[in-house]
Amino acid sequence: MVIEMLFRRIETVELRDVTKRYGDFTAVDHVNLEIIGGELLILIGPSGSGKTTLLRTINRLIEPDEGEVFINGRNIKEFDVVKLRRSIGYVIQQIGLFPHMTVKDNIGLLLKLEGWSEEEIDKRVKELLHLVALPEDFVTRYPHQLSGGQQQRVGLARALALNPPLLLMDEPFGALDPILRKQLQEEFLRIKEVLGRTIVFVTHDIEEAFKLGDRIAIMRDGRLVQVGYPDELVLNPADEFVAKLVNVDKKFKHLDTLKVKDLMVDVEKYIVEVQRKDELLQWMRDKNIEFAVIVEKGALKGVTDLKSLLKSQDLEEALMEPLVFSPGDSLASALAEMKRRNAFLGVVVEREKPVGILLANEVLLKLL
Amino acid sequence: MDIRWVWESQNLAQRTLEHLRMFGIALALSVVIGVLLGLYLYRRPKLAPIAFNVLNILETVPTLALLVLLLPVLGLGEKPTIAASVIYSILPIARNTYTGLTSVERSYIEVAEAIGLSEREVLLKVRFPLALPLIAAGVRIAVVFTMGVVTLGGLIAAGGLGAPIQTGIHLYDRDIIIVTGLWVGALALILDGVAALIERYLRDRYGRR
Repeated sequence: MVIEMLFRRIETVELRDVTKRYGDFTAVDHVNLEIIGGELLILIGPSGSGKTTLLRTINRLIEPDEGEVFINGRNIKEFDVVKLRRSIGYVIQQIGLFPHMTVKDNIGLLLKLEGWSEEEIDKRVKELLHLVALPEDFVTRYPHQLSGGQQQRVGLARALALNPPLLLMDEPFGALDPILRKQLQEEFLRIKEVLGRTIVFVTHDIEEAFKLGDRIAIMRDGRLVQVGYPDELVLNPADEFVAKLVNVDKKFKHLDTLKVKDLMVDVEKYIVEVQRKDELLQWMRDKNIEFAVIVEKGALKGVTDLKSLLKSQDLEEALMEPLVFSPGDSLASALAEMKRRNAFLGVVVEREKPVGILLANEVLLKLL
Repeated sequence: MDIRWVWESQNLAQRTLEHLRMFGIALALSVVIGVLLGLYLYRRPKLAPIAFNVLNILETVPTLALLVLLLPVLGLGEKPTIAASVIYSILPIARNTYTGLTSVERSYIEVAEAIGLSEREVLLKVRFPLALPLIAAGVRIAVVFTMGVVTLGGLIAAGGLGAPIQTGIHLYDRDIIIVTGLWVGALALILDGVAALIERYLRDRYGRR
């Protein structure tokens, strides 16, 4: 079924002199910004800097007091607002899945409103679940039966349902715990490659910005401070604020002196002693996490994540043997080992007990 | 106490059917009118305070007085009884419908608008389903009201289970009064129980966050 989109692909999204005031407070102050078709543009800044407000002018959730927004050269005020929003996918931090609808109904809602047949909807929903790495039998579940990460994936699937050429994302991974956030970022990068669409992405996390963004737009007090590619920001920061945000001075200062224990993250909440798969599933669901470190009498047995667990017959099959380090190991050699074995995490163990996790990306970004 | 004698002499099987028929018609009318009024007031919120004030005033009129007031207009029997039931039941249903529609969490509405639902679609696909548990709670209150008014209808020749209670009072027959009274009470409990089950189902289905 072909959907009538207002635009099939994005050449440019142009914000011209956009200003939004709330009483005396100027949330967005004369912002000019051009988003190029096919890129992922990050809007970053501290809270209250106007990044979300600016994002919302693009699908007319917020009408600017001054200035205009153009998509492919056409003023978006010319478009019917419902059609405009259906041509723009939207994902937010609070996810906003409708609690009274199943996963299928949530993802397929717009398809249904666009008059797709049941079979077409079924097919498309399964395609999308596959894309966001969720099992097909999730279709009948309700949002409250899913973990936070799973809900966020469904939210992304819903935004992609009509195959919109433009995607707006407002801190989509902001509410997730660090390990899950990394996982979803990785997956999102993969999905982004597959889809190759234009994305505007709001975050306040500079690490996320560097990891996902093609270009980064930095906002402060409603103004656009600097827009550019990551290396431009690092090499030529417009001012002190930008320099501090991108953390130029901290770079690679003393890698040699660092130990694994200096940069490992806390593992406490992921440790569990269970025998059976269903026990572990329940535990992960209760804790709302997607990764677990399994121990036996306190000693490390293996690690697993929700995805492998769902695919496996039993717990044994899902268990993976992680790279193991001790807290006193040199960080540089630990990283080299991880790189060589192509592992994104290692478990730090002291007297057989897991005491921390070493996440390759986390470490690199902390060093940057 | 001869239950069987009361049941047969007072024709309670027939009376129960009459009673449930009036109850059913009155409740169905109340639900339709109440929900529609709630929807209408949601679209015209300025009228809501006035409408609810009027309904509140009607609610304070004693049932017997209301039945008597309706006599000159609707005569004796079923009609004024059903009308009185409906007048009492509109308020809880309309008020809960209105409250349900207006108190849906803002974030759901925002998301619905953001992904491109029209105002009408937001109402039908998001607001109304999420309001259903509260609407059901209103209907449950109406079930209790309606049961009471329909029983009083016996006073104005509406038939139903109010009639044998009247007979019992006139004849000063304790057995008839107690048997019929307990039966009406049991029916009310059963209907309220059914309403409670439906309410709980809707809360589980549409009210989980």
